[in-house]
Amino acid sequence: MTRLQTFWGSFRMSLLHFFADPQWIIPNIIAPFVFTIVALILFRDVSGSVALYAVLGGGMMGMWGNTLYGSGFALAFDRWNGTIEYVLGTPSRLVWIIAGRSASNAVLGLANALAIVLVVAIGYGAFFAIADPILFLLALVLTLTSLSALGVVFCSAFLLSRSAQVMTNGLEMPIYVASGSMFPVALLPFWSHPLSFSLGPTWGIDAMRYAADATYVGLGFGYWTDVLVVLASAIVYLTIGFWLFIVVENKVRRDASLTEY
Amino acid sequence: MYHSSKGILRKNRQVVEAVKGISFDVEFGELFGLVGPNGAGKTTTIKMLTTLLTPTSGAAKVLGFDIVKDVVEIRRRIGIIFGGERGLYYRVSGRENLRYFADLYSVPLSKRERRLSELLETVGLSDRADDKVESYSRGMKQRLHIAKGLVNDPELIFMDEPTIGLDPQAARDTRAMIKQLVQKGKTILLTTHYMFEADELCHRIGVISNGEIAALDTPEGLKRFVKDITVIEVEAFGVVDADIASLRRQPDVKAVSANLEGERQTVRIQTPKGSEFIPEVTKVLSGAKIFDIRTKEPTLEDAYLRLVT
Repeated sequence: MTRLQTFWGSFRMSLLHFFADPQWIIPNIIAPFVFTIVALILFRDVSGSVALYAVLGGGMMGMWGNTLYGSGFALAFDRWNGTIEYVLGTPSRLVWIIAGRSASNAVLGLANALAIVLVVAIGYGAFFAIADPILFLLALVLTLTSLSALGVVFCSAFLLSRSAQVMTNGLEMPIYVASGSMFPVALLPFWSHPLSFSLGPTWGIDAMRYAADATYVGLGFGYWTDVLVVLASAIVYLTIGFWLFIVVENKVRRDASLTEY
Repeated sequence: MYHSSKGILRKNRQVVEAVKGISFDVEFGELFGLVGPNGAGKTTTIKMLTTLLTPTSGAAKVLGFDIVKDVVEIRRRIGIIFGGERGLYYRVSGRENLRYFADLYSVPLSKRERRLSELLETVGLSDRADDKVESYSRGMKQRLHIAKGLVNDPELIFMDEPTIGLDPQAARDTRAMIKQLVQKGKTILLTTHYMFEADELCHRIGVISNGEIAALDTPEGLKRFVKDITVIEVEAFGVVDADIASLRRQPDVKAVSANLEGERQTVRIQTPKGSEFIPEVTKVLSGAKIFDIRTKEPTLEDAYLRLVT
């Protein structure tokens, strides 16, 4: 109950701040829309699998962007407000606080992705059928979980650094490209594949495409393998995140570097 | 002790010893003050006791719990109230600030809203509870800080300069709230730069200087440190730093404090000579225009100055 209350309280507070602070609207709401529309224009097609790539790509951009910026700023924001010592001084584990904030950002990204689907469907007539909506939803939820867990890992590293926002800017596009959100991973150079395959979202996107398009081949391992890998990735990320937070929290308490920004 | 580094390519590492083996006990229901100059180690002490910093050596217990091993147990039972403008979420309401911290302190959901209403009532913010904090005055923000520090109904409250930057009325209100908390049986550890505040509020005071406890006593006990001296207080204009240095060099001067800001400067000289020393003072300050000069009984501030200079 305690952890859930911490998680939910942090989730809620993060949402309140998102709506109270208009600076997030451009990178997290408008940019993914623009990206999707540019993709549709570049693909010169608005039907079937092309639309699926464009819409999932834009949606993933929204979800990943929100998670990354959210986790990057989750603690930088507390440093700016001078609330970091109060937050860390509570009995709640920092990892649950960050998990709540990270989940809130992923959900905002999901809302953004749904809005993209609606806008391209209505505005561009880009329709695509989802062959198995339930499996699609399962893959989507797991991908969101994996993204949030990845956000927790990044956030623990950001606690050590005064330059979280610089790192977030540098990480957005590489992860987005490497996960094959907009085009297949097979198109990327061979040396980048280890990075792609180590990312949960790569497998999540692949699973979503399997569920949406019955003829999809993708990475070639099938839907259920993809889903298991996403789930495993979320567990691994969370385990690393938990461990990192303990290490990092102890380090900042020892070095008196908590309030430096 | 903590490590600090400067430079990017060639790191210049320094080890800073912020606190050197200080030792004190605080009784239940006591309001204990820690005073000392900037950098003396007051805030570091508070941060160690609130588990925000880990000491490199030594041991301390808070409410019977070890500050290194029993972090969560301590955090559940203490409240933290720091002074200053920051430490609140400005873009959301005061109530939302409290609600969030109530969640982080695991205040049961069945009691949470009633607790928030009571706290807002106590600090006089009920009418503005749903306004964004960015619209609050400095005094209102400090009252919200106090409410936030009480959200988990702590047994022990740490206050680090709670009246810093407040106007006189807001500072007086804050002091009144602190007194009420003590009357309700709370134990408080307070740091302040204002000696009159420490004198008014604290049952006992520890004076920290260079990371060590220079003295620990009741306010009256500390004043006895300076019972052998008289304070000559001068109001003047045109006093320069060299005059103060010259006064400090006088063999019969124990300590000098000065506020040289503004058009009406004040200089306080501690001397065992009493009024006999006034001609010497006027001689040293001959380059300045003296408006008033008089002798006074020493205060806690004079005792403090004697201890830290």
